Amino acid sequence: MDALGASVSAPTEHPFSGAAEARWVAPGRLVEASRVLREAGYFFESMTCVDRIAAHGVFELIYTFNRWEAASRVAFRVWAPATEPVPSISGVFGAANWNEREAWEFYGLAFSGHPNLTWLLLPEGTEFHPLLKSFTAPPASSYDDSLTAPPPPDDAHPPAHH
Amino acid sequence: MRTHPPTTDPLDTYTLNMGPQHPSTHGVLRLLLTLRGEEIVTAEPVIGYSHRAHEKMAENRTYAQFLPNTSRQDYLSGMIYNFAWVEAVEKMAGIPVPERALVARVILAEFNRIASHLLWIGAFLLDLGAPTPFLYCWDDREAILFLLESVTGSRLTYASGRFGGLARDLDADFPRRAREVIAKLRARWPEYDRLIEDNVIFRNRAIGVGVLTRDQCRSYGVTGPTLRGSGVPYDVRKAEPYGAYPRFEFDIPTRPEGDVFARYWVRVQEMRQSVRIIEQALDQLPGGPFLEPGSIGVKKRLKLPVGTQYYAVESARGHYGILLVSEGGAEPYRAKFRTPSYPNLAVLTEAMPGTLVADAVAILGSTDLVMPEVDR
Repeated sequence: MDALGASVSAPTEHPFSGAAEARWVAPGRLVEASRVLREAGYFFESMTCVDRIAAHGVFELIYTFNRWEAASRVAFRVWAPATEPVPSISGVFGAANWNEREAWEFYGLAFSGHPNLTWLLLPEGTEFHPLLKSFTAPPASSYDDSLTAPPPPDDAHPPAHH
Repeated sequence: MRTHPPTTDPLDTYTLNMGPQHPSTHGVLRLLLTLRGEEIVTAEPVIGYSHRAHEKMAENRTYAQFLPNTSRQDYLSGMIYNFAWVEAVEKMAGIPVPERALVARVILAEFNRIASHLLWIGAFLLDLGAPTPFLYCWDDREAILFLLESVTGSRLTYASGRFGGLARDLDADFPRRAREVIAKLRARWPEYDRLIEDNVIFRNRAIGVGVLTRDQCRSYGVTGPTLRGSGVPYDVRKAEPYGAYPRFEFDIPTRPEGDVFARYWVRVQEMRQSVRIIEQALDQLPGGPFLEPGSIGVKKRLKLPVGTQYYAVESARGHYGILLVSEGGAEPYRAKFRTPSYPNLAVLTEAMPGTLVADAVAILGSTDLVMPEVDR
C-alpha cells in the first residue's frame, strides 16, 4: 500500500475508529489501491457517502474492506469534490456496482467508468437527492401522477344511476 | 451446467419478469430474467420497493428515538439489529453495560437467530413445494416468539435495548421457560433431519444447484450462512467478538460445496450452536442490575463525541455493520447500515446465469433475503 503512494495527507482531523487502518486515498488512486486489497484477499464490506458540502464543498466517501481470515478492517477515506466524478471500482469489486449507484442517486455524485449508473432504490426518474443535507422534502408531485395529470374528460366516468 | 455459449442475440432470448409480487420472493423483489429456453442468460434484481429512507430518518432523530427503526430493517432478526444500534452508540459514547445485560442480550439475540432460521426453513421448503415443514417450523418459532414477547412485549419489532442495558429485566422464571423452549426445539431436530435432509426430492433440488464460489463471495462481500455454505468460516461473533460472546464456546458450521444444500445445512447446524450458546449463557447469567444505574434514559439527550465509527455484529443473515458519523450533536450526522442481504442478493447477478429457471426459486430462497433490509 505504501509503495503505491496512494495515501494523501488528512484533509480533516475527524477521527475514525473501528478499523485496524484508516487511510486517506486520492480519488485518482482509488482503483489501483482497491485492486491491491482485492489481490491481497480482502472482501468488499461497505461504502458510505457523507455530505460535507456546507463545510468543505466535498463528499467524504468511506470504503471499508475486511478479511475472512484474521479479520482486519481497512478503511479508505476519499475527499471527493462534489462536482467531479469519482473513478468507479465496480470493475475490481462487484459489490461496488450497487453501492455506487446508491451514492449517485442519493447524493448526485457521479462515478466514471460505471457500467450502469442508474436508479437503484429510488423510483426511476427521481430528480432529487434525498440524502443531501440541503434536501428537506420532495416536490408535491414527485410520486403521485394524479396531482399533475390533466383531469379525465367528463364522460369518462358517467354518474351512477339507480 | 451451461449447455450453450452465452448469447445476447435478442432473437434468441426472451425476457421473463418475476415479481415484484411473487410468492417466492418473500417481500417485494423483482427479477428480470433473460432466458433462452429454460436457461437463465442474465438475472437483474430490481429493488427499492420497500425503501423507507432509514438512513435519512436517522439523521433527523436522536439516538434513542431511532431505536424502534432498527428492528424494522430486518424484521426477522430485529433483536440483533436493535442491540447492534445500542452497542454501537454505547461504544462511541463510552457507556458501561452491566454484566447481566450483556449476557441477557446474547440469550435474546440467539433465540431471535433461531426463530429467523426456523422461519427461513419453513418458507424455503414451501417455495420448493413442501408445505409440511412450514407448519412444524412455525410451531417451534411460535414458542420462541412467545418467550421473547414475555420479556420485551413485542413479537417481531423489538426495541428492548437501552443505552447501558435493557428496557426490562429477565424475570425469575425466564430461565425455566427458556429451557422448556430449548427442549421442544431439540426434540424436533431428528424429525427435521428425516423429513428434509434425507428427503430425496429436496436433495435433488438442492445439491449442486446455485453454486457460489469463494471469489464471487469476496467480490460482493457475501457473508453469513450464505458465505459459510461456501466453506468460509467467517462469523463476526468470532472474527470481531463483541458483547458477551467471547465467554461462550461454539463452533462455526461450514460446508465447502457452496450450493443450495450447503446453505440449508449450515443454517440447521447454526441453530444447534445457538442453543449451545443459550444454555451456557443461562448457566452463567449473573445477578445485579439490568441497566447501568444512573444510565442515560431514553428521554435524556445523548450527544456523541465527534468522529466516525464502524461497528459490526453477526445477524441471522450475516455481517451487519453500522457506520456512525457524529459531529457532536444529539442526532447522527450520518448513519450507514451495511445490511447482509444487500450483497447476498447482488451476487446473484453472477450466480444465476447458466442455471435453469426452475432453480431460480431455489437459489433465491437459499440466500435468505429480507427485502426491507436490502432496501432499508
